[in-house]
Amino acid sequence: MKKQNVRTLSLILCMFSYLLVGAAVFDALESETESSRRRILELKRNEMKKKYRFSEHDYREIERVVLQAEPHRAGRQWKFAGSFYFAITVITTIGYGHAAPGTDAGKVFCMFYAVLGIPLTLVMFQSLGERMNTFVRYLLHKVKQCLGCRRTEVSMENMVLVGFLSCIGTLCVGAAAFSHFEGWSFFHAYYYCFITLTTIGFGDFVALQKKEDLQEKTPYVAFSFMYILVGLTVIGAFLNLVVLRFLTMNTEDERRDAQERASLKRDRGFLSRGLRRERNRSRSHSTLFLPMEEGTSCTNLIASPAEDPERQRRTGAREGNMWRVMLFFVMVIYLFTESQLKINTGSIYMICTSRECFEMWRLK
Amino acid sequence: MKRQNARTLALIISILTYLVVGAAVFETLESKQEKSHKRRLDARKHELMRKYNLTKGNFEELEHVVLQLKPHKAGVQWKFAGSFYFAITVITTIGYGHAAPSTDSGKVFCMFYALLGIPLTLVMFQSLGERINTFVRYLLHQAKKCLAMRHTEVSMANMVTVGFFSCMSTLCVGAVAFSHCEGWSFLHAFYFCFITLTTIGFGDYVALQRDDALQNDPRYVAFCFVYILTGLTVIGAFLNLVVLRFLTMNTEDERRDAKQRALMSVGKPRGEVARLLPFSASTSSTPVADESAKARDLKGAYTEVLHFQTICSCLWYRSKEKLQGSIPTMIPQELTFSDAYMQQNSNCPHYMEPGSTGCVCSPRQCSSISSITSGLHILSPFRMCKRRSSV
Repeated sequence: MKKQNVRTLSLILCMFSYLLVGAAVFDALESETESSRRRILELKRNEMKKKYRFSEHDYREIERVVLQAEPHRAGRQWKFAGSFYFAITVITTIGYGHAAPGTDAGKVFCMFYAVLGIPLTLVMFQSLGERMNTFVRYLLHKVKQCLGCRRTEVSMENMVLVGFLSCIGTLCVGAAAFSHFEGWSFFHAYYYCFITLTTIGFGDFVALQKKEDLQEKTPYVAFSFMYILVGLTVIGAFLNLVVLRFLTMNTEDERRDAQERASLKRDRGFLSRGLRRERNRSRSHSTLFLPMEEGTSCTNLIASPAEDPERQRRTGAREGNMWRVMLFFVMVIYLFTESQLKINTGSIYMICTSRECFEMWRLK
Repeated sequence: MKRQNARTLALIISILTYLVVGAAVFETLESKQEKSHKRRLDARKHELMRKYNLTKGNFEELEHVVLQLKPHKAGVQWKFAGSFYFAITVITTIGYGHAAPSTDSGKVFCMFYALLGIPLTLVMFQSLGERINTFVRYLLHQAKKCLAMRHTEVSMANMVTVGFFSCMSTLCVGAVAFSHCEGWSFLHAFYFCFITLTTIGFGDYVALQRDDALQNDPRYVAFCFVYILTGLTVIGAFLNLVVLRFLTMNTEDERRDAKQRALMSVGKPRGEVARLLPFSASTSSTPVADESAKARDLKGAYTEVLHFQTICSCLWYRSKEKLQGSIPTMIPQELTFSDAYMQQNSNCPHYMEPGSTGCVCSPRQCSSISSITSGLHILSPFRMCKRRSSV
């Protein structure tokens, strides 16, 4: 099977297993706390209802009023500063939700705003991130020269280390600042910075929401905006360094395959078999998940047609194993989900009986 | 100034302008309504306080309880189904916030979970999106053949149209489904799907929060999860088609510059240069070697054109003819040479049509990451110009 397809399938499987594992762990960590908290709060609510003798209808009214007034508690959200904050959360896709457009016109404009703004922002952060990486590479090179190191080229490990440390540094600086200004603990402020800079943006912690901060504390507002944008740039630079090459893996492989097919057709005309065999031998065995190094001309998991049959047999065997591993994984995921959801689709029974049938058929 | 720096500066300025303009428009649209809404709520609140004789402190206590109960109102959030929903919102960076870890250990695990999950998800969606694009390209090619059209190559415009329509239909399908199941208006359901699939995820509208749907309605739950993941794949495919090439612009330019510097500084003789080229280009090595001198002469003339082209928009969609028209007198030889080159390529039965990489030039020209042919590029500035314009 083509490398790109194998890669895509295994990535899908990985993601599903990752989701399942995450769900199970979150369940284990949070479920108990949730149910006990809920019990306490409901008790309190019933107490208050009895104390003030709310009618059911009036209590629902109070609930509605309180929930709708929630964004207003933090002050005016839609004056210029607040709107700017909102616009940042839209185009960076953070999306806290502390303020969301209430009018239909606002919702429609928000959608158009995002359609153009999000790609523009993505491109901007990657562009700026790449510039930063180049600059850091230059600085490191100079530093290595100054320190009189034997090899002054900046390796990938150096860059990744520096990138990682700058990300952690950015998070810590933000955590210190926000824990001071917002009155959160350092851990909660760190969690806030992390959730913001990964653009998840739950909205459980949101800066600039203490009474009238948006209108009054202008330097703090400016700092918050700068922090978010600079922090996203640092994270973007790190992603540009580490992740971006993986995003283009399939496209590059397609391109390489097309070139190979084109060159094979051409080669058939003038090259001898010997030259082709030499090229095959020099093929590096690329792995599935590493982007190609520069300068390699052709690598392919499956040998191109009209090559030696020995190679094809070997790759055929490898493929068979890979399918078996994938099937095993799918079964594990399915059984795990069943157990977590506490349902029984009889799959275990089906698997056992099918195995028995298969064995009997083989023995015949 | 270096092209990459100019491009980056221009992008920063445009983002800041975009933010300011957006903020002004949002303020105009929302500020008045916010004020009147707040006034109405305050009035209602005071009415209720008067009716039940509540002090401010009492009401604040009540407020506190109601706000804390808000996530619980929607049902159990952290059983397996709810946790799965939460895990999806974390690794796709949607992050509604309808449920957020309350324990400290939950928060710590959430951070580590996101650290590994987000890149994995990004790579997965792009990978799958690229596969979908390839498949769609194949289908369109077959469709064009069936309809017996003159040009059966799938152009970039075709792909973008199909991609755009599939995005719109995904959003519409979701809007219809959610407006039916959640009781929202079509516009609000569409807004929900849009905000979800762009991973903004405000959380003002969240699915599966009515009537304890997470526990009681497994089919609807499964539909929601499948919808979110497929929707993100469709959007990811569209981004892969349209945006991804722009994300690697600066890196490609840096690489090209570095190679140029390396080649120019070493100053190899012509024969050696020809040997650097791969087998496939061996047939065109002689004309290329001849071009190298011409290339150096005209390099200065080109830099301005390149500069302008790349800072402005991506010009890949410009047809070859337009480009030829704009610089008619500068490099006729290059033009004919590149014509011959393109002819040679298009004669090859497996020649990748221009649409596949979105470039007018052949894929070999477009990619600088597959650097085997970069020597060829550097020696032919016109093609270099075209390749840059393709990015």
